[in-house]
Amino acid sequence: MDVLDLARLQFAVTGSLHFLFVVLTLGLAPLVAIMHTRYARTGSTLDERATRFWGQIYVTNYALGIVTGIVMEFQFGLSWSGLTHYAGDVFGAPLALETLIAFFLESTFLGLWIFGWHRLPTWLHLATIWLVTITAYASAFWIMVANSFLQHPAGSVRDGEVLRLDDFGALLTNPSLSMALPHVLSAGLTVGGFVVMSASAYHLFRRTPDQELFSRSLRMGIWTSFAGTMMVVGFGFAQFGPVTSVQPDKFADRPLAAFGLGMMILIGHLLQLIALALVIVVKWAPRWRFLHPLIVLVTPLPFIAAILGWIAREEGRQPWMIWERLKVADAITPGLTGGQITLSFVGFVGVLTLLAVADYVLIVRVVRRGAHEVALGENPAPAPALTF
Amino acid sequence: MDILWFGVLALLLIGYFVLEGFDLGVGLLLPVTADRDRAIGAIGPFVLANEVWLIAVAGVLFGAFPACENVLSANYEAVVLLLVSWVVRDAGLWFRRRLFTRAFWEWAIALASLGVCLAWGLLLAGLGGFSVPFGLLYGLLIAALFVLHGRRFLDWRLTGGGSPLVTGALAAVPALVPLVGTAGAVVANAAPSANLTVLTFMVLPFVPVLAGAQIWVWRAFGKGPVPAYF
Ligand code: HEM
Repeated sequence: MDVLDLARLQFAVTGSLHFLFVVLTLGLAPLVAIMHTRYARTGSTLDERATRFWGQIYVTNYALGIVTGIVMEFQFGLSWSGLTHYAGDVFGAPLALETLIAFFLESTFLGLWIFGWHRLPTWLHLATIWLVTITAYASAFWIMVANSFLQHPAGSVRDGEVLRLDDFGALLTNPSLSMALPHVLSAGLTVGGFVVMSASAYHLFRRTPDQELFSRSLRMGIWTSFAGTMMVVGFGFAQFGPVTSVQPDKFADRPLAAFGLGMMILIGHLLQLIALALVIVVKWAPRWRFLHPLIVLVTPLPFIAAILGWIAREEGRQPWMIWERLKVADAITPGLTGGQITLSFVGFVGVLTLLAVADYVLIVRVVRRGAHEVALGENPAPAPALTF
Repeated sequence: MDILWFGVLALLLIGYFVLEGFDLGVGLLLPVTADRDRAIGAIGPFVLANEVWLIAVAGVLFGAFPACENVLSANYEAVVLLLVSWVVRDAGLWFRRRLFTRAFWEWAIALASLGVCLAWGLLLAGLGGFSVPFGLLYGLLIAALFVLHGRRFLDWRLTGGGSPLVTGALAAVPALVPLVGTAGAVVANAAPSANLTVLTFMVLPFVPVLAGAQIWVWRAFGKGPVPAYF
């Protein structure tokens, strides 16, 4: 593989890893916030345990979201300085806004939420998880603005050898963005719903304690998956209009992109059917044990669909970095050597893959351990007795 | 406007050195710390709020000074070392109580903290065109200042000793020197003023929120029992 291939593969792998965690973050954040709201209102132990259990899963998942995100942020500067050279004046703006007015706050508020148990006043503590949710969505918005610019360089003009920002508003009303953003957010809800459903089904099937807690969250997961799949499919089809208006031949002669698209749609319809069937029997689902292993079994599907979606969108953009403006091959850092890209490939892909596996092991462990042994929000150990 | 944004960039980088400085210092000190649970517990609630300053530095670099972004690719190896070490340090914090043995992750945190310091030495020295050995020495100097700062922080947080402000100021010096040295070149490479205006209008309303959130972290976790999540 030459330098260009390695740099592309590195971006694809780290980006996919990042999104696997991000998509669950986007889906779980509002659910955890809703559970926490219930807990703040009722003060019941059941609601508290539910919040802490799903919160622990959220936080464990977030750990990898943030470390993969760090690598993504800097990768543009490392391997793709041609992009910044050509279009940094446009592309840099949404990225800067994402870090300053979304991610910076998200990370700070999440710290307050994680460590604020038994310390912040109830309603302020609750506010932090809603702020985490809002800022996570804001992050998704700005990143999608940046990505949509690559699909369709709206709001920019050519100025000699480079692109300049011409109309900031047009960046935000980019047709490549309008339906893609809700599609991604509903993909998040779909993933979140299926994960909540499946972890609950596991506990119901095993007849572990906390049947009531998991019956409730199974229903919440079913309703979320139902809403999520309806919206993801709706906005998915709604994307075809804008996509074909700005990238008419996107899926015509790009087999990998077309494959990704086709499989995503297939899985999308399947998930929609599953969610529809479950929502009809939602009242009895917690008691129907034969359903539970099946629910656990389909958990990977929404994740796979989400990655396929990105393959469709990004492969469909090839060979362009910025559609009909800048080729990927011209965006790579000039003079990037084989040694350098191999070093970063091994460092990023190797380390992040290992950590991702470790993190999934941990998530599974948190799920299996159940709601009675959750580290998040544990009562602080009593202050050590004075010894003389 | 370009000077204003250079100020923002400088503030964020200095803030990163001051704040993440004590996290990394405590990380470096772990092998010689007796009560590692309490030491990590002391920095725990601050880490997420501290490390994000560097992400903001990268954001401002992209948005306001895109032409300067080539410092990253020009110092490729140092940036890779910085990122991998940073990632491993974070993983150590998240996983320490949960996977394999604690000692494994504590060593990982200590070594990764050292890696971050050395990477900064290489990166900042690289800006001035200095050699690799000089960069490594500069990195060791940074590590030493962070250790000092980390000890002061632990003392302040755990036993109510004097404030870590002075050591914080010292920890920022290694970033200040190259900032002063490159100020002219950075400002000359700012994005067009129309861009900076957009960024200013978008970010300005959030400044009180950004500052408020950071202050809130210090007020909430500056005293009281040491939490035990990490
Ligand atoms: C019948 C169902 C679906 C249809 C018709 C559909 C359609 C589309 C289309 C047209 C794109 C845009 C490609 C581009 O911009 O070039 C896309 C992208 C994407 N899809 Fe789907 N999709 C469906 C289901 C799903 C499901 C179930 C998920 C995940 C749970 C998903 C996740 C994504 C993601 C993450 C992207 C990339 C970002 C974006 O363009 O929004 N899709 N999809």
